[in-house]
Amino acid sequence: MKNLIFIFRSAIDDFSRNKLRTFLTSLGILIGVFAVVVLIALGLGLKKYISDQFEAMGKNSLFLVPGRVLSGGGFTGSVSSIAGRFDDRDLQTLKKINNVIGVAPLAFKSTKIKGLLKEDFGDIMFSSETFSDIMGLEVDRGRFFDKSDVSKKAKVVVVGSKIAEDYYGSDEGAIGKKITIDDVKFTIIGVTKSKGGGGMGGFDYDSYLFAPYTTGFIFNPDKKFFRLSVKVENENYVSQVKEDIKKEFLKRHKDEEFSIVEPTELMSAITSIFSVLNLILVAIAAISLLVGGIGIMNIMYVIVSDRIKEIGIRRAIGARKSDILSQFLAEAVLLSSIGGILGLGFAYLSVLAVHNLFPAYIDLTSVVLALGISSAIGISFGVFPARKAANLEPVEAIRYE
Amino acid sequence: MIKLVNVSKEYIIDSEYTFYALKKASLEIKEKEFVSIMGPSGSGKSTLMHIVGLLDKPTTGKVYVDNKEISRISDDDLSKLRNEFVGFVFQQFNLINKLTVLENVMLPSIYCRKELDFDPNDRAESILNDFGLSEKRNSYPNKLSGGQQQRVAITRALMMKPKLILADEPTGNLDSKTGHEIMMLLEKLNKEEKITVVLVTHETEIAAYAKRIIY
Repeated sequence: MKNLIFIFRSAIDDFSRNKLRTFLTSLGILIGVFAVVVLIALGLGLKKYISDQFEAMGKNSLFLVPGRVLSGGGFTGSVSSIAGRFDDRDLQTLKKINNVIGVAPLAFKSTKIKGLLKEDFGDIMFSSETFSDIMGLEVDRGRFFDKSDVSKKAKVVVVGSKIAEDYYGSDEGAIGKKITIDDVKFTIIGVTKSKGGGGMGGFDYDSYLFAPYTTGFIFNPDKKFFRLSVKVENENYVSQVKEDIKKEFLKRHKDEEFSIVEPTELMSAITSIFSVLNLILVAIAAISLLVGGIGIMNIMYVIVSDRIKEIGIRRAIGARKSDILSQFLAEAVLLSSIGGILGLGFAYLSVLAVHNLFPAYIDLTSVVLALGISSAIGISFGVFPARKAANLEPVEAIRYE
Repeated sequence: MIKLVNVSKEYIIDSEYTFYALKKASLEIKEKEFVSIMGPSGSGKSTLMHIVGLLDKPTTGKVYVDNKEISRISDDDLSKLRNEFVGFVFQQFNLINKLTVLENVMLPSIYCRKELDFDPNDRAESILNDFGLSEKRNSYPNKLSGGQQQRVAITRALMMKPKLILADEPTGNLDSKTGHEIMMLLEKLNKEEKITVVLVTHETEIAAYAKRIIY
């Protein structure tokens, strides 16, 4: 024990005498550990982001989309095969299936929107009263449209918080006001709670308007929907309902014209793609660790050559080969660990800096991995120079000038 | 205590020429002796010293330590003997300059695997005190004079209570006054502490301190 403390203390002594060399040598490991840890953190963040997006939809939902979307866990074919869009009859079919407690069709319209402060193009989603529930949309002020709004084809609209802000200045200012969508006047009955997000796979619901699909037929005369969302009574029935829907739909459609997607399935498919991508990036970053290790090996050979005389003296007063070996190994491990710890520190700061934009995080595994790998590099790249030092003939070493 | 029988050390320069650093040397050193080994430069004194000090192994011949033949013992056991049995004093002092005086003196105890019957720190301090080096204990060796450095080296050699001190031209880098001081110190260790001293030198004057001189 006193031996170990002594070894590490003299290594630290040595490094403090050669701060620049120590820093430069550790830099390779620092960069490697930094890159690996940050990429893992971003990967974890992405996973969390995706699962949060899907979590909001609930596990008891199913989506019907035209064309083939998922097959065996991966994407095949095109998402935008519009050939077989769904119509009102499909909607009615779904409603009749056992354990289905809600159906939300979805149609889009991009058109001119005129509010109090602004006139611009915007996007409206037409759906049913179940939509807010299925998509995990919450209403901050006012209310979402209900069943009667749908059956009455009421000209009511719920707007995203960003829309309320942009067109009326505030949430309160928007409620009850008229908004003109493609020359048709609608009444704003609710404002959704801000969800943030958007981008990767998700919609930025804050910038959308939502209206009953029946009202939407004004703009959508062929009454087609590009997606149907189904809410099942509880998640245990999901696979049964999926089978039933498939059976019913095959009566009207060909197999390749529609897909039934479970959010969890979709999520695992997306997550697995991103995981593979992330793994590749981490592997590339790991190459810099290798380069850093070679740097350590290089400098350790220099250190050994610099200290041949010292090694001879130590051997003359009774140091064993193993004492010399552990001394130089300790220095190599310390060099790489300094790099590892600093790299981890910088990675932590970077993750902290992006945390507001992206839920990246460093888990315990990355910490253990970073420290473990950096000391393993120290050992594996330090062992050759250290063995060279230990195997010097004592008498040759002490004569060396 | 140490016996060398027909010891040779050869360095093969190339296939036709072999350099003999030492040719069939025999030597016996008894306990509590003060022996000087004399000879001109290049006569193999240092090689002999390295073999006696177990730093080097002979090409042929046998070395006995306390009647045990050492050619068959392991490198670790040789290290142990160097650590506990021998103390070295070199011409160039061979102190480690990045360690303080006290750390240099205590270094042998770091490499000792057995339980010590003394506190290394106390022992180091007390010998340094005896040698008038107390105030220098936290200095670095390259800040000391040659005589002081050699006294530190002797302190280090004494640290593990060795039976044998090997001094290889200990006065070679010192002026004659300091050299004599160092020799008196070695003489005192031999007389009072009953430590065997083997001295290698080419100066007759220095060799005269010994009880027995081998040419």
